[in-house]
Amino acid sequence: MGTAALLEVKDLRKTYADGFEAVKGVSFSVQKGEVFGILGPNGAGKTTTLEMIETLRSITGGSVMLDGLDVQRKPYEVKERIGIQLQSSAFFPNLKLVELLRLFNDLYAESTDPMELLREVDLVDKAGALAKELSGGQRQRFSIATTLVNKPVAVFLDEPTTGLDPQARRNLWDLVKQIQKKGTTVILTTHYMEEAQILCDRVAIMDEGKIIAIDTPEKLINQLLGRGFKPHTKVQAATLEDVFIDLTGKELRD
Amino acid sequence: MPHLTLILFVSAAIIWIVIRKLVLPGLRSKSASSTASASSKPRRRIIKNRGWVALRGLTIASLKMYFRNKTALFFSLFFPIVFIVVFGSIFKNTSASFKIDVTNESKTVLSTQFRESLGKVSSFKISDVSADKAADDLNKDAADLTVTIPASFGEVQNGKLAESKIVAHFNGAKPQNGAAAAQIVQQIASGFNDSITKTPKVVSVESSGVSTKNLSYIDFLLPGMVGLSIMQLGIFSVAFGFVALKTTGMLRRIQATPIHPASFLAAQGITRLIMAVFQTILLVTIGAALFDFHMGSSSWVPFIILALLGSAVFMAVGFGIAGWAKNEDQAQPVAQLIQFPMMFLSGTFFPRDGFPHALQVVTGYLPLTYLADALRHVANDGASLWAVRGDVLGLVVWGIIAGFISVRLFHWE
Repeated sequence: MGTAALLEVKDLRKTYADGFEAVKGVSFSVQKGEVFGILGPNGAGKTTTLEMIETLRSITGGSVMLDGLDVQRKPYEVKERIGIQLQSSAFFPNLKLVELLRLFNDLYAESTDPMELLREVDLVDKAGALAKELSGGQRQRFSIATTLVNKPVAVFLDEPTTGLDPQARRNLWDLVKQIQKKGTTVILTTHYMEEAQILCDRVAIMDEGKIIAIDTPEKLINQLLGRGFKPHTKVQAATLEDVFIDLTGKELRD
Repeated sequence: MPHLTLILFVSAAIIWIVIRKLVLPGLRSKSASSTASASSKPRRRIIKNRGWVALRGLTIASLKMYFRNKTALFFSLFFPIVFIVVFGSIFKNTSASFKIDVTNESKTVLSTQFRESLGKVSSFKISDVSADKAADDLNKDAADLTVTIPASFGEVQNGKLAESKIVAHFNGAKPQNGAAAAQIVQQIASGFNDSITKTPKVVSVESSGVSTKNLSYIDFLLPGMVGLSIMQLGIFSVAFGFVALKTTGMLRRIQATPIHPASFLAAQGITRLIMAVFQTILLVTIGAALFDFHMGSSSWVPFIILALLGSAVFMAVGFGIAGWAKNEDQAQPVAQLIQFPMMFLSGTFFPRDGFPHALQVVTGYLPLTYLADALRHVANDGASLWAVRGDVLGLVVWGIIAGFISVRLFHWE
């Protein structure tokens, strides 16, 4: 250990042209190999924070250092090192998945084997399909495949499981863990707490443009319990989602 | 052809400047990154020409998309082809030959020479008839045009040639035939006039100055259709294709890669230029194969250069619309508003000669008019690019205006 953080965010601020303060001074750091979650309700400033780190949105104040690079000064170099999955993942129409991956290869001046990428996200049999022919879960998985083309040091996933059914969601969690296992840092946003608890080594909870808590999920839960918290309902050994998965099976439906 | 070389050189220079401006920034960021990364983490590969790789990848991708997008293909390709086939077929036989009744009431040498000049026009089928018969033929649709050479034609009074009028009537029901024939007659007559006024004493009319090439409606229509398809390609396909990328978020996804946004624009432009050449060759080939469209082999190069120039001008317009519009609903009416008037006012389907004078003047400044006129001149008369420099200048000025406006209006989101 003792190495510097992969991502260092200091007092990051964003004020839009209409005067709206979306992000009001956010600081955190992410270590190499971590899965880091940014949680929060809609409109908390998660996406804006992520997009400023990804160089896709201009920074009003503060600084972001990624892999030793200032994202404001070296946006192109930063983009070469990271993989970005946007909230709405759209792709060129009329291009097959293999062709799209080839295109992304060219955009990064890379030569990663498209079939290898598709194998990683379990879409080999869809190699000749168009992006619009994919189901929601498949599309998210493909979208993640495009972020892996340049063998990034970190991937950013913006609400990767929103709108997916429980099976597809679990499948995507496995994919995220698989990416982490290969040593890639993952920074994701979500508003599913269960997801954060399962996937994330550490989470930051955002509300109204500020980080109000940051720690490992266990510590955050223990802190809450330490404050004398009692759940409203009796703690059950299983949830309704467990019932659902048990009844419908874990296999993907897409 | 020194001028052609000059123009080729200038276009090559422009393309080089564009590449330097658009592609090299991507290149530089790449090389800068390899020095920066030395401190943090050694990169896996060193690829010097990343700008080119990306540009090539994007161009191939958009060409594939273009050929797979049936709607866009239909609008920019098949419409002009359909127009050529339909109008070419309708007017195919009408202009192959004109039936002309000539009534020569004069006995002078000049009148005989005039009659002989008419006979030299290969598309004229001439019968020498009486005035009554001519009027009758015209009524019965047996003649496209009647020409009466008056008795005074070529007579010398007081040592000067008498002023006389050749009267031509054409069938109002089939004006496209008669009008075309009348125009040829008029050219012959003015050729006579020129030679007479310049050298009053010699009544030699050897060179009548009339083009006896058998030009038909397809020779007029096809260059106009090429111009039209280039306009469609530039404005419609750019505006819509680009706005679609904007609204679907694909543009943003591209921005998330290290490619310089300008390289992306350049790839879109290169794709359209390739398409413009492809369309031009296709349309000319169809015209030549099916409808006897005339174009000398030496005209191909200036013809295609004009097509590329026109395509660049209209793309500037298209990118202006695409950059400004937030979605297809905004792009559509603006694109139509710009395209529609030009479609009908730029002399693509029919000559602008019939317009009221003021309209002729105004429509003469439209970019599609410049393009269609220049293409027609090159194809029909074998004109060089230098000979159509007025039109080329007009296009360049429009390109600068449109380029300036689109840079002003452009925004990525």
